[in-house]
Amino acid sequence: MKKILISTVALSTLLFTVSCKRDFDTDVSSVTVTKGDADFTKYVSIGNSLTSGYRDGALYIDGQNESFPSMIAAQMKLAGGGEFKQPLMADNLGGIPAVGFTNKRVLTPTMGLGFAAGTGATTLANIYASGPYNNMGVPGAKSYHLVAPGYGNPANLPLGKANPYFVRFAKNPATSSVLSDAMEMKPSFFSLWIGNNDVLSYATNGGMNSTTVNGVTTYTPAVVQTGNLDPTTYKGNDISDPNVVGGVIKSVLDGLKSVGSTKGVIANIPNVTAIPFFNRVPYNTIALDATKAAAINSSLINPLIGALNYLGQSGRFVPVVAGNNPVIIVDNSLPNVSAGLTAVLTANGYPATQAAFLGNAFGQARQAKAGELILLTASNELGLDAITRQAPTATSQFIIGASFPLADQFSLTSKEVNNIATAVTAYNTAISGLASSYSLALVDANTKMGELNSTAGIQFDGVKYTATFVTGGSFSLDGVHPTGRGYAILANEFIKAINAKYSSTLPLVNVNKYSGVTFP
Amino acid sequence: MNFMKKIVVSTALLAASLVYAGGFRVSLQGVKQLAMAHTSAHAEDASVAFFNPAGISFIPNKLSVAAGGFGINAEVEYQNLQTLESYKTDNPMGTPVYFAAAYKVLDNVSLGFSFATPYGSTVKWPTDWAGKEIVQEIELKALYFQPMVSFKLADWVSLGGSFIYAKGTVDWTKAVTQLGGTLNIKDDEASGKGFGLGFYFRPTDKLDVSIAYRSPVDMKADKGVATFNISPSLYPLVGLNSSGQDNFKAVLPLVDEYTIGATYKVTPKWQVSGDFNYSGWDQYYALTLDFEKAPIGNQASDPTVLITPKNWKSTKTWRVGTQYMFTDALAGRLGYYHDESPYADSDFSAESPSFEANVITGGIGYKWKGLGIDFSGAYNFQTPREVKNSFYNFNGQAKAKAYYFGLGLSYNAF
Repeated sequence: MKKILISTVALSTLLFTVSCKRDFDTDVSSVTVTKGDADFTKYVSIGNSLTSGYRDGALYIDGQNESFPSMIAAQMKLAGGGEFKQPLMADNLGGIPAVGFTNKRVLTPTMGLGFAAGTGATTLANIYASGPYNNMGVPGAKSYHLVAPGYGNPANLPLGKANPYFVRFAKNPATSSVLSDAMEMKPSFFSLWIGNNDVLSYATNGGMNSTTVNGVTTYTPAVVQTGNLDPTTYKGNDISDPNVVGGVIKSVLDGLKSVGSTKGVIANIPNVTAIPFFNRVPYNTIALDATKAAAINSSLINPLIGALNYLGQSGRFVPVVAGNNPVIIVDNSLPNVSAGLTAVLTANGYPATQAAFLGNAFGQARQAKAGELILLTASNELGLDAITRQAPTATSQFIIGASFPLADQFSLTSKEVNNIATAVTAYNTAISGLASSYSLALVDANTKMGELNSTAGIQFDGVKYTATFVTGGSFSLDGVHPTGRGYAILANEFIKAINAKYSSTLPLVNVNKYSGVTFP
Repeated sequence: MNFMKKIVVSTALLAASLVYAGGFRVSLQGVKQLAMAHTSAHAEDASVAFFNPAGISFIPNKLSVAAGGFGINAEVEYQNLQTLESYKTDNPMGTPVYFAAAYKVLDNVSLGFSFATPYGSTVKWPTDWAGKEIVQEIELKALYFQPMVSFKLADWVSLGGSFIYAKGTVDWTKAVTQLGGTLNIKDDEASGKGFGLGFYFRPTDKLDVSIAYRSPVDMKADKGVATFNISPSLYPLVGLNSSGQDNFKAVLPLVDEYTIGATYKVTPKWQVSGDFNYSGWDQYYALTLDFEKAPIGNQASDPTVLITPKNWKSTKTWRVGTQYMFTDALAGRLGYYHDESPYADSDFSAESPSFEANVITGGIGYKWKGLGIDFSGAYNFQTPREVKNSFYNFNGQAKAKAYYFGLGLSYNAF
């Protein structure tokens, strides 16, 4: 009897000692974060708005504190990283009144888009004395701006050859380039993410350049630069020659190498059209009922089709239908048949002034097609009365987008979309080549942003992020720049690339802990 | 004797080779039973009622009442080696209670009643923890009210059945990160019905065998209220009323349980017990929350329906326990049971963390005339596990520890 008792107890005890593992194999409290082959003592980030922490159409303190380089730097501190100084703005409004930079975008109580109230306190006063600054992200910078001396010179501002953000923190405003200031810091580790704006400004401006003289703005098609290696001749929204972008990035890497900075991470360029700014408004956003569709067909579309056929320009329009219809856009690659249209419409009995008005407006107009992009900025245009530029009334005849062309700078034709994609591919080929020849960690930001733009999005701890405007959570109110959470998704890609390349063990950041869109 | 030895040894070996039951079932319905691994074949007093309605026929007295309560102290820890984050729950003490009464109206007919709280859990994570989108705090509770009747078919066998009326509460708060706030879903008037059925055998004076089935109970929350703590400017977009609320419906399955147990008196002073439970958690394959207006679901056909896959699996529990009478009045008890987690790592449910568990139990009991008082305690050694929830893309590791203690009273009159 006792034997059984003893053996049962003994067996139970044995059972416990074998099966009772109660602690983690590795407890996080016992993990040491290591730097591997890298040295994080002085991390410097070089780039544009995406590096600076720009969001909601402005640079402001809370955004800067959630810049992806500051997130990475916080993790680097766990492995010997030093202080990471950012050229913080003066407030959380972000406006720079001296150069007409507006405050950040905010949601209005009715969920519209507005600007934060108040007057931005940030001035152009140089704050280098409190520097130098590790975060050298300069909003608006294109690749070639990084190597332009005097890019921080206030005297160059009227010439368009300086950047107000760099004016604030350039070491020697008259002579500094972003690169030269970065080289002076002799970074032990750097991140370089540049080239987005070399194609983005083309995209966000609908492939158009603009000049404003005496308050009158005129638009001309921007140029896809190929073979022109002198960026000083580029206009603001031209697409930079891929050789310029590749060449500049190489010279930045060479410059850094010359001061002993050889370890870092470089990121490629996301296909810029995979962001809400281009996807918020569908190409066929014009909703019509049967009555309206019939009215537009009889008063406008059918006569136009007839006239265009006569002019040998068929295929620009089809009759509209009840339901969703494509936006009427301007395609500057089409032959301009304004004069011919005016003549035909006049001959068909239209009063001369009306014929001229229509001829002028529709000379290069057509309906948008699937795959063509209507920009977020078009939201303020579509549906307005084209003549009064007010909300339409019962007698309004020309409604922007529905019965009147949306101006060229608010849309991207498939040809323009293609120009962008071609440039991005060429830039990325150059960037991955340089990453391998300079032996740097490479972040495939293009693929990651593509994932975000998919229906599945990116899940993090139960939160699903997509590229959908506002509700997708990853893009801020400007539709171009990420939220803090979006930047955190990117920061994790940088950290993974760094760890893979340098055998470091920097921890990832918790995406959901950062801020998203602020609701009123 | 040799036969018994084999049973004891082989049961113990089986327990060691199999890996075992959890979910939100709280197996604490008898203090005396807990001390012996919560085994079922104990018909000394009315506390057998919950375990097997047929058991009340074998209570030695005409009238028996039993009542008891427990304290549960449980802590779960989550860590993520990728982010180096770590969080611990701060759960309030759980307090399951029970009450049971049985009365022999005729020699071969017994009536009984059992009140118990067999399902429930309160899990409270830090509000900003990594899994906040899944759960910040949740309270699940079900009260079972079971009237029952048992017939003695012969001296050695009885058949009993019960009707189950269950009433419950669900109160679940989670973050809605994309809306910048939190969501609470609550229904404290959920209810459901079910039944219990069992046979109880005493083929010899030395052996008790209990076979019982308890049906599933679908707890229907029909008047659920979903309260969003978000910016009021979002209320119209989310379809909420001016208090930020919407209605929802849901069904939470309290699953069925098969139990077979036996107690053998090795000597007049020493008895051993063994139990096997099978719990039908595979019913919990998904949790569907059907909101009235809020489009926060994930179904293309109806955006107000949120279906979260659960993919739980049915579990087995093996229990062995023993009692030794030091004197006629004083009993010492020991036990061990092995419980499975009802889900795989890929379905880890942060709102009801479950682990493969090894539990040791013990206790003492004192009898004075018809009155009994029992103390018991248990320590739950839970095996750390990987968290790889693919639906939420929620990853990391989890571990837990828990202990229970209980105080029970029983009174057998005439």
